[in-house]
Amino acid sequence: MSGDLLTIAPLITVGLTAVAVLLSDGLTPNRRYAPIAVALAGLGLTSWILLQQSGGTVTALSGAYIGGPFVAYLGLLGSAVVAITLLISPDHLAARRYPSAEFAATLLFALCGAILVGASGDLVTLFIGLELMVIPGYILAGYAKRDPLSTEGAVKYFLLGSFSSAILLFGIVLLWGSTSTASLTEIATALTAAGAGLQPAVAMALALITTGVAFKIAAVPFHYWTPDAYQGSPTPITGYLSVGPKIGAFVLMIKIFLIALLPLAASWIPVVAILATATMTLGNLVALTQSNVKRMLAYSSIAHTGYLMVGIVAAGEGEASGIAGVLFYSVAYALMNLGAFAFLTAVQGRPGATVQLSDLAGLGRKHPMLALLAALFLLSLTGIPPTAGFFAKAYVILSAVQAGGIASVLAIVAVLNAAIAAFYYLRVVIYLFMRDPAEVEVQVATAPLLRAGLVVAAAGTLLLGLLPGGLIEAVVKAIAS
Amino acid sequence: MSQIAGHLEPYLVLAGILFSIGAFGFLARRNAISMLMSIELMLNAVNLSAVALGVFIPALVGQGIAFALLIIAVAAAEATVGLAIVIAIYRNRKTPLVDEYDTMRQ
Repeated sequence: MSGDLLTIAPLITVGLTAVAVLLSDGLTPNRRYAPIAVALAGLGLTSWILLQQSGGTVTALSGAYIGGPFVAYLGLLGSAVVAITLLISPDHLAARRYPSAEFAATLLFALCGAILVGASGDLVTLFIGLELMVIPGYILAGYAKRDPLSTEGAVKYFLLGSFSSAILLFGIVLLWGSTSTASLTEIATALTAAGAGLQPAVAMALALITTGVAFKIAAVPFHYWTPDAYQGSPTPITGYLSVGPKIGAFVLMIKIFLIALLPLAASWIPVVAILATATMTLGNLVALTQSNVKRMLAYSSIAHTGYLMVGIVAAGEGEASGIAGVLFYSVAYALMNLGAFAFLTAVQGRPGATVQLSDLAGLGRKHPMLALLAALFLLSLTGIPPTAGFFAKAYVILSAVQAGGIASVLAIVAVLNAAIAAFYYLRVVIYLFMRDPAEVEVQVATAPLLRAGLVVAAAGTLLLGLLPGGLIEAVVKAIAS
Repeated sequence: MSQIAGHLEPYLVLAGILFSIGAFGFLARRNAISMLMSIELMLNAVNLSAVALGVFIPALVGQGIAFALLIIAVAAAEATVGLAIVIAIYRNRKTPLVDEYDTMRQ
């Protein structure tokens, strides 16, 4: 029993940190940074525990929780995402008179859910983890409760999110009933034993699960909620929402499709491949037409969902480097996307400001450092070396080529899409450096924490682009278990 | 263990019908509260099938009820957050009709 508690220690630490954050705010009210400091300390402790556990796989709670290198990898990534979000948010929120303690606590509860998804060994834990991860997301999307856009985004996010949860849950229950087990590995065994044909109940479960997951990762045509939820939320929160819950949903996809449903790969690969093609293409084409930079990045995040799905298809075809590609891409995407949204946060120094493309004209002359960092994130999102985004795309596409079959077609689609995407990312860079300054200047936020967040994201993006080797070793170790 | 008469299939069919009514309600209604109620109906359909599977499939006896209790807890958490969000947007917009929430459509 005490061994079990040690194994789930990361989960407990994050949960207790969230409580400590709320307590610290109660004890020292009106101190904006006290809750943030407590949260960052808790994240540091969690990371240390996760590193201690990265040696070997340990199961706890009768196989419901599987600790080890995989959870350590995802938990560290999640902690980094939450830490960067905590750096870029408080001043932005404070300028609009929203508290930061509740914000930090909600983020930490979501991290609990993300860790639980990564550690889950059965369908029940997986679902509880998913809900624990997304429900705080609904709260965060509507965090600016006096702002009509934020609440509008939150309503859409919540309604479609819960609708998709119900669909996913029905699929999970049917799968559990038809294989008589909740354990992910035992489901795979039962499905292999059942032979090649699809039972009606399993087929229905597969259809429901695929629909539910597609909503969660915002794959076309289940993406309607994404642009509004992302555009409406306060900018740093959009950064978190476009990274945290999305990567968590991909971990869910790895758990369900690449562990439990792997024997049915022949049935789901064509569907996921079509979704991936539609997601990449539509995401990029619609992003081309956007003049609001935040909404453009929302559509670009849909396109990135498509690239990640290519890795899932490659892994389904039996190419182990597909999962490695997805895990590497997750880290690169988290850093560069959070960085891009941190940049948008920085140029929204005045409350109520929106960021149109024309507002950014000539920013490079007035604020060269900020514009350089923005260019770095945009080049990385495009996939230009030496940035993290280049290696991320390279690994995913390479694994798809090696997998062969339908995945190699997807590789071609992904490359074509990367070319389309370059147009709208680089257009922003051109506005930053090669246009005359706009008449009404944007007010740039200069909070030290925001700068720290920008620098951390930029350093990560650049470091992964120059020395991707260390992370690749970690990825290999994570999937070996 | 509790005894329910009959066979598994009718319960699953009923669950399927309830789930479909919920899904139809979600897609057809414009009122945010009605949509929330439709989601609850879908989740209760899932509960019904979880409990029925837990009773009729020997390997799952007892698990179904535990699963259903967890789903009820999650549904309650979701409804709490959902109602809070709907109240927040009602204060901003003075309407519960979701098709009038279209400020960001371009």
